[in-house]
Amino acid sequence: MVVADVWVRAGATSESDPLFGMAHFLEHMIFKGTASLGPGEFDYNIERMGGISNAATSHDYTHYYLATANHYLADTLPHLGELLLNAAIFEDEFIRERDVVLEEIRSCADDPDAIGFEALLKTVYENHPYGRPILGTKKELMENSPEAMRCFHRRHYQPENMTVVIVGGIERDTSWEIVNKTFKNFKNQDDFPTSNQLAPPQIRDVKRQELILPRIEQARLIMAWNLPGMEELAIANGLEILSVILGQGRTSRLVNDLREEKQLVQEIYTNFSVQKDSSLLTITAYLEPEYLDRVENLILEHLHRLQIHGVTEQELKRTQRSLCNDYAFNTETPNQLASLYGYYNTVAKAQLSVAYPEQIQSFNTKKLQKVAQNYLSLQDYAVTIMKPY
Amino acid sequence: MQNRNNIDDCKFSIHRTTLANGIVLLIAENPIADIIAAKIFVRAGSCYENPEKAGLANLLSAVMTKGCDGFSSLEIAEKVESVGANLSVDVSTDYFLLSLKTVSADFAEILALSGLLLKSPTFPEKQIELEKRLAIQDVRSQKEQPFNLAFKEIREAMYQNHPYGRSVLGTEASIHGINYKDLVEFHQNHFRPDNIVISIAGRTTAKTAIEMVTEVFGDWTLPNTARHALDLPKISIAPKSCLQPLNTQQSIIMLGYMGSSINSPAYPVLKLLSTYLGNGLSSRLFVELREKRGLAYEISAIYSTRPYPASFIVYMGTAPENTSRAIKELGQEVERLSQIELSPEELQTAKNKILGHYALGKQTNGQIAHIYGWYEILGLGIEFDHEFPQLINQVSPELAMTVANSYLKTPYLSLVGPGEAIDLTTA
Repeated sequence: MVVADVWVRAGATSESDPLFGMAHFLEHMIFKGTASLGPGEFDYNIERMGGISNAATSHDYTHYYLATANHYLADTLPHLGELLLNAAIFEDEFIRERDVVLEEIRSCADDPDAIGFEALLKTVYENHPYGRPILGTKKELMENSPEAMRCFHRRHYQPENMTVVIVGGIERDTSWEIVNKTFKNFKNQDDFPTSNQLAPPQIRDVKRQELILPRIEQARLIMAWNLPGMEELAIANGLEILSVILGQGRTSRLVNDLREEKQLVQEIYTNFSVQKDSSLLTITAYLEPEYLDRVENLILEHLHRLQIHGVTEQELKRTQRSLCNDYAFNTETPNQLASLYGYYNTVAKAQLSVAYPEQIQSFNTKKLQKVAQNYLSLQDYAVTIMKPY
Repeated sequence: MQNRNNIDDCKFSIHRTTLANGIVLLIAENPIADIIAAKIFVRAGSCYENPEKAGLANLLSAVMTKGCDGFSSLEIAEKVESVGANLSVDVSTDYFLLSLKTVSADFAEILALSGLLLKSPTFPEKQIELEKRLAIQDVRSQKEQPFNLAFKEIREAMYQNHPYGRSVLGTEASIHGINYKDLVEFHQNHFRPDNIVISIAGRTTAKTAIEMVTEVFGDWTLPNTARHALDLPKISIAPKSCLQPLNTQQSIIMLGYMGSSINSPAYPVLKLLSTYLGNGLSSRLFVELREKRGLAYEISAIYSTRPYPASFIVYMGTAPENTSRAIKELGQEVERLSQIELSPEELQTAKNKILGHYALGKQTNGQIAHIYGWYEILGLGIEFDHEFPQLINQVSPELAMTVANSYLKTPYLSLVGPGEAIDLTTA
């Protein structure tokens, strides 16, 4: 089997006012064909050979993916290249597909956790693109046009923004040849306004937001810290270790204390994700509304203790081992590898992805305590609370 | 078009052996990564529960890792997390499953711990109370998602008293009534060596794996009572509509047809038809209702592989004003299968698709261990891995239409959406 994964530096951060939602909508339109390849023809060709294809859009990237038998790569990748380089963005298809994206927006609006997370990002990142919903809004979509989308496409779908990753049972020379033939004739680059790249804002004080939602059965508390991104990867890695020690697994501090011992929450976990210009550490708890204040204060106490006393040798060892094992578990298959290399090369450099286990091993308890003191502020964070109606 | 599916299906030689006490052991030697995964299946899914105690198997799965002979909940978690292993326990209607994954060197240790959990759980009272409370909350949380609401209704309508009609979580009332004694009894009745399949994949050899498993599980004695035989209620088929008004942005539409079990000749045909309709970006529903008509973002078909008749479901989310039209057009797409024979090319495409996905679903050690163990616990045997592609390839257009005619005629409908959309539909 072989996987081809094409990463384009053209996510929601590349959009300009007022045409938000453009990058994601374009991802849909890419599959609608070119002058020589009809709508859906690419999907049909891949799937009738037993392969699969898909795509995803985020703030920093959009990527397009196919998996197929080795000897079909030469037949299928050129079609993906054709779609990516020569997207026609037909008017009638544009109008039809807009309805599909509107359904996607509606379906998110029925998902309380999606609503909460969107509100949190807005609080944390304000007017920075990371604060905007990737799907855009109905109003923004209705203002978009096929012509504007074609300009956006010509502006961003250019060689300097693209990473092609091939992983699988295929000779390096063969794949070089296929890739070089496929990604050759790019359109002339358009001059299209891009977003003015502000740095993400620093959070000052506690930015609190409360949502009252119908149809939720329990409250949510989400606390978030806006932290250094890819440019300071060493710090981000330290924060990832801290996030595991705090809230991943039954031995982690928050799970052990708040779920198992005090039994104040249904569930609690931390999440840590690195983006190009920022990383985000969140602590999420599902709980009864009457415990909201108490749990928030207890979480702050845990952070405080982390700053004062640091982490134990045992916690550090366990977490390093678990992160390095997870890295091994998450690089078992060609699509996992393609995705890892593609992502790193889009927001930084592919080489950094293989240095990860070594980076994680390089921390000691002193160094981690410093990171906790410098970055996990008790005064400056964002918090989104969701309460049942 | 020929059958040209050949995503290189990695061929592992699967070793199958039965220990003296009846445990079936499967081993796939796969030296590529320094990882070993194991899936331990137990014939103790929610189908084996007494309906008044619905949620018992699920509660058992939650409490199992929270105390065993010699170790407390925290000690168990420490043993697993200190070596960065993954260990989890789940339950489905048909089986109970303990999954573990480690780097090769840690496998023996975590397997030994898994043995203790399965053989001698202690069910601490405090942990039972905690997990019961959390399970009840979990039942309530299901109501937050319109899809879950729609699915619950159609499942209950289609299966009545059959255990497939119940959520594995149970209900608030049934969970409430579960106590320590129930857990002990359920464990004693069903957790016995001849109810267990251990499937291992990764960097090990058959010889080593047999030694490790014998060391951990060899002393588990077989009781001299007979194994519990399932006697499940009959399912009667009487399609009806379930309408739930809810203030949502989208209507969720679900059509359900009673399909067949995995043992029926209709199984591969229905599997193929559900793939044709709802699997992938070139599937019939996706192209007709989403790409050509813009009626949905999510639209798909579900037909699970099960030892008792499985529901065949198509569903979509659509704007409230499109609800009536979408119900009609979704239903017509399924009806079409009984009216018009699929072209050989359509059928071959669906075959290649299903077999391609099948091969892609056997990549990680966890996936490999899962599929063989699952076939074994379902009573199909590991040979089913080879039989499945043959069964799929044998389906002809005539047979597909015949099966559609006997199974996919009148649907159950489940609809969740704004009151006005529902009123328009029923008007």
